[in-house]
Amino acid sequence: MPVWQSIYEELKSQNFEIISAAQDTGGEEAAGPIFDDANVSYTALIDVNHHISALYNLLNVPSGVWIDEEGKIMRINEGTYAKTHFDGAWGTDDYVPIVRDWVAKGADSEYVWDRDKVRESIFQRTPEAERAQPAFRLGGYYFTNGNDEKAEQYWTMAQQLDPSSWNYLRQDLQYEEGGSAGPEWRERRSQIESAGGSYYAPLEIDRN
Amino acid sequence: MKIYRSIAGSIAVMLISGVLNAQSAVVLYNERVVEIEQTLADATDLWVKPEDLTRVNDFVLKPEGACLDELCIPVLQDRDSDMYVTRQGQGWFNVTELADKLQQAHVADYADGLWSFGTMPLQRQSFFRGGQAPDFEMADRDGKLIKLSDFRGKKVLLLTWASW
Repeated sequence: MPVWQSIYEELKSQNFEIISAAQDTGGEEAAGPIFDDANVSYTALIDVNHHISALYNLLNVPSGVWIDEEGKIMRINEGTYAKTHFDGAWGTDDYVPIVRDWVAKGADSEYVWDRDKVRESIFQRTPEAERAQPAFRLGGYYFTNGNDEKAEQYWTMAQQLDPSSWNYLRQDLQYEEGGSAGPEWRERRSQIESAGGSYYAPLEIDRN
Repeated sequence: MKIYRSIAGSIAVMLISGVLNAQSAVVLYNERVVEIEQTLADATDLWVKPEDLTRVNDFVLKPEGACLDELCIPVLQDRDSDMYVTRQGQGWFNVTELADKLQQAHVADYADGLWSFGTMPLQRQSFFRGGQAPDFEMADRDGKLIKLSDFRGKKVLLLTWASW
């Protein structure tokens, strides 16, 4: 988070904005202090219903989308840590330089994707998985109103309807014993990875 | 006589509400939480008064149909249909039927009268076909309404993260 703030300071004069949306049912209480500690001055949103993830078909956090001056997507659906964390376990130091390159050169940046590549990179949900969002939203409403039993019922439904969403699983696990990075999460993650899959949407730094 | 009339009036009201079996509902639609005083009781569908339709999803019932901006879905209003019925002179619009027509996902807790709707596929066509960023509107931490489209003319890096 502090890294994004420094990147923002560096690039904001070049017609550049960061919109950072916490996908947090716990709201201000959960996500607010993290924004505050980083002294963010870019646009900070707390998206309690994971609305933006649903709208852009993003399955995990962190995720990044590049949007140009006309509202066209230039890159989407990438696991975007600003720097390498935990001895290289997550993220890469290569992401920030390509953001810089795009802000400086716009459509001429070699890291901008063409329309076909953008289209192929948008995750496609099944009609069944589309129902996960209203189910998750219903669970969140019950959670906010103190009905944990019904919250669990609809969060479980959301996970069953859209098993590819890590956000729905981990937001739910947050409120259970073991937490969002506990045994259940580790087991699911290792299942994905041992089958050759990737937990984070892969980052492609290759030039076009 | 006056007393008698008012009792008769209450009985009439009770009868009408008995026939309609009116019940309240809460509708979750994007960032909205819309409380609706009266719906037409139905096991699987959400029927609301035309003015409440607009409060839910901005659709306006016009003679030509249910309309949102350029889009109009034809609705018969001179006789009952899947989309619209008249009971005791009051028109009722079927919100879930409209959602089904638009292939918009929804989930309900019937017992609690809670209805939750997903995003409207029509509003994401240009996203899937042309890579246009879907617009959204959300209050920031100071309560100021933020719209993605307000940033036209700037490059935007949209990031999602979570505390968990």
